[in-house]
Amino acid sequence: MIFVTAGNHFQGFERLLEKVDEIAPRIPHEIIVQKGYSKYVPHNTKYFDFVPANTATEYIRKSELVVSHAGMGTIILSKQFGTPIVILPRRKIYGEHVNDHQMEIAQVLEERKDANIHVIYEEGQLEKKVMELLENKVKVTPKENVGRANLIKTIRAFIQENER
Amino acid sequence: MKKNQKIGLICSHGGHFTELLQVQEAFEGYPTFLLTYREVSTSNQENTYYVANIGKNPVAFIFSLIKIFFILLKEKPTILFSTGSEIAVLPFYFGKFLFGTKLIYLESCAQIFRPSMTGKWIYPITDLFLVQWEPLLRKYGPKAKYVGGLV
Repeated sequence: MIFVTAGNHFQGFERLLEKVDEIAPRIPHEIIVQKGYSKYVPHNTKYFDFVPANTATEYIRKSELVVSHAGMGTIILSKQFGTPIVILPRRKIYGEHVNDHQMEIAQVLEERKDANIHVIYEEGQLEKKVMELLENKVKVTPKENVGRANLIKTIRAFIQENER
Repeated sequence: MKKNQKIGLICSHGGHFTELLQVQEAFEGYPTFLLTYREVSTSNQENTYYVANIGKNPVAFIFSLIKIFFILLKEKPTILFSTGSEIAVLPFYFGKFLFGTKLIYLESCAQIFRPSMTGKWIYPITDLFLVQWEPLLRKYGPKAKYVGGLV
């Protein structure tokens, strides 16, 4: 299964939805799309507007591949489960977001070269990238998340310090 | 004497909610409640107060303001924790100035180089202010802390 998500952002992401629908007939996997506020209605894939967060989390865990906007929730969960993810950042110029912070996220993650995070900047690159990743079966073994552990430790320590 | 902590968890939907769930372990063993937007993605949560998305219209904003005040009055949290976004601003100011609540804020992982609006608004009153990217430390000030990020 391939899970495609445009997240919960209030603007649509037609560029991603149209491209996914166009290439879907050539991809030998079931594709499920969370279209969010996008207007485009897919013809070639299953889709819904939104699901509860734990349902989306299950899709990300079970999928062979995730295709997403550069939304942090989806990126964090893909990394946690080792599910390969293709990110196409939303752009301000196309009315897909209020600013270009998704470009910054994409660039920083691309430079960091995480094993399962794959960045594209044009929707035209999507089909090639998806085919390549499906052929290579690139589900990775998740590493221990040190940053997360440190955040939990720091927050908990603050709560305990303030008990006196 | 040990003070009994009660923690109010606050976040909007989407990535902010995901980030909050990622650090849930920090609150294990403490009574908590959640304050979030009424959206499909946040539905069916336990111990949860839902408010309408305050970004959407002014009437909803006034209604949410009153509702948030009464939630704090009823629950009497000793600590408020938020991963953003703007849903945190009212409860943080109410908590700080009306109820003497301690405040913890975790800036979103999506903010790499620039502070969020919410972060800028609540930085001055927050007791523990965490950012997830090192470059952000300079943009906030000496109170901001970096111990790592979720991604």
